[in-house]
Amino acid sequence: MNLAVRDLRQHWGRFALSCLGVGLLLSLVLSFAGIYNGFIADALALIDSSGADLWVAQKDTRGPFAELSRLPDDVRYRIAVVPGVREASPYIFYTVQRPWQGRLLRFVVVGYDLGTGMGGPAQVVAGRGIGQAHYEMVADQKLGLRVGDVVHLGLHDYTVVGLTRGMVGSGGDPVAFFSYQDAEEIQFVKDNWAIRNARQRALAAYTQALPTQPMLVPGLVQRFADNPELHNVNAILVRLAPDADPAAVVAAINRWEYFTASTTAEQSALMLQGSVALARRQTGLFRVLLTIVTTVIVAQIIYTMTLEKLKPIALLKLIGAPNRLVTGLVLQQSLALGLIGYVIALVVGNLTYDKWPRRVLVGLPDQLLLLGIVIAICLVASAMGLRKALRVEAGAALVG
Amino acid sequence: MEVVHIENLTKVYGEGHTAVTALRDANLTVRRGELTALLGPSGSGKTTLLTSIAGIIEPTHGRVCIAGTCFYDNGWRVRDLRKFRREHLGFIFQSHNLVPFLTARENVLVALQINGVTGAKAVRIAQELLDYLGVGERQSHLPEKLSGGEQQRVAIARALANSPPVILADEPTAALDTERGQSVMALFRQIAREKGSAVICVTHDHRMIEGFDHIYHVKDGRVSDGQQTTER
Repeated sequence: MNLAVRDLRQHWGRFALSCLGVGLLLSLVLSFAGIYNGFIADALALIDSSGADLWVAQKDTRGPFAELSRLPDDVRYRIAVVPGVREASPYIFYTVQRPWQGRLLRFVVVGYDLGTGMGGPAQVVAGRGIGQAHYEMVADQKLGLRVGDVVHLGLHDYTVVGLTRGMVGSGGDPVAFFSYQDAEEIQFVKDNWAIRNARQRALAAYTQALPTQPMLVPGLVQRFADNPELHNVNAILVRLAPDADPAAVVAAINRWEYFTASTTAEQSALMLQGSVALARRQTGLFRVLLTIVTTVIVAQIIYTMTLEKLKPIALLKLIGAPNRLVTGLVLQQSLALGLIGYVIALVVGNLTYDKWPRRVLVGLPDQLLLLGIVIAICLVASAMGLRKALRVEAGAALVG
Repeated sequence: MEVVHIENLTKVYGEGHTAVTALRDANLTVRRGELTALLGPSGSGKTTLLTSIAGIIEPTHGRVCIAGTCFYDNGWRVRDLRKFRREHLGFIFQSHNLVPFLTARENVLVALQINGVTGAKAVRIAQELLDYLGVGERQSHLPEKLSGGEQQRVAIARALANSPPVILADEPTAALDTERGQSVMALFRQIAREKGSAVICVTHDHRMIEGFDHIYHVKDGRVSDGQQTTER
């Protein structure tokens, strides 16, 4: 006969509510682990799916993700002939926010070379990949576009030909893939209104300056020129030859080409040391606080449940119950509370993670870690109740 | 055959000028199958005597022996009093004292389980005891669903579960009306006669003193010599 179960049978409604409360708290603890994992997955999604071995950025920058890097797109040809390089490919990465059908679309523009495919979508879950050099795009499902939708960007309309899943930037914004030529245009080519506006301003400045300050005119013309630097990219992606030594290729590029090259592993580390490290500390601290709060709440529930049973416990001692029976009663109820709460946390989590605005990734290690934490919480939380239960005298049963 | 032997039992609460002597050199002997009453007004020391016999409070000095084993002897006591209690004593109280979250049958079963009796054997013993005490039909009810008399019968069944040589009862009829009180006393007599247990009953309920084999009067911590009330 299990006394813990018999006692809970009488207060099952209140116990169920307590389990629900603890379960929701634990689901938050688990969610924060998942949010942290999501940060990492989001941060590394583009790097991992790029298929590149090396990343070449502007000299002395850590681009393209950690900071702004800009270099001419024809650098790819110089990089491609470095010994050990199999192929090199331009890469563009920036965030835009544009109106579309009454709402704002915020997304990361990724431009890649259709020939090598490096930096492009790793997997298309609907439609197809980009099949022509211009006016097609592949968007992540999270952006809310469908295959066949047309989005006006800069001077042109782009048709969504395919969809990806789980492709987001480090900030959680969905990615839209374009050919790098289109990505350059979207970024640098002004639309017609902007061009007309610039011309008006140039004309006004020219008209004003010409009679009195003719020396200024060449500068004004240069300043208002329409598209001074169209052919810039943010990085060159490199795929190495099978027998190439990555360190040697990096050293060669850094020394002779006056760029900064890094391996994919280094790019990943840069990402994780930057914005993700701060998020990790933030979520880590929150998890610790939530765990402490959960411990306190479980302790309070167990303590209150024990206080309510002091007389029956005294009676059990009076009729000769050993301490292990009393300890078992308190500990089993505590563990039942924790483990049922844990199951609720898993169920709630699995039902809700898809609905969170950012990716939440909870794996088996996180679940097992939480299980360990829950058991530890229950044991710690039982301490106060156990102390009270073990100290109650058998004679207390005789007090009316 | 002596099952309870108490010798010069003294209990002093507190120290120095605040010391209160609740029990003074009490002597008591109870034989197997006897029904003994400890009679006295409130504060006379009868509950102190009963709880000393139960090993719930530690006497200041004296000796307490149950079924030939002295568990307290002038400052020395057995290490595991709870084990001693579950093997030698059964308890019945005024307020019935059933575990509120256990049914009538489970209240008896828990006493058996504590003493290592489990499974079908325990169920059979519990069933027999509850039937014997006339509450077999109510075995699946929680204490709150039982009347005062039924609760007291379940408490008696629990006290009898491990066939202890001694049953200690503290005001067992105080919460019952006369008819139910007499019914409980009749049960005690039956148990003493049929099961051979010695029943020591603290009471100040004079309605119930008929039928006790011995009556000890407790007053100001002193216990009078046993007064035999029935021919044996």
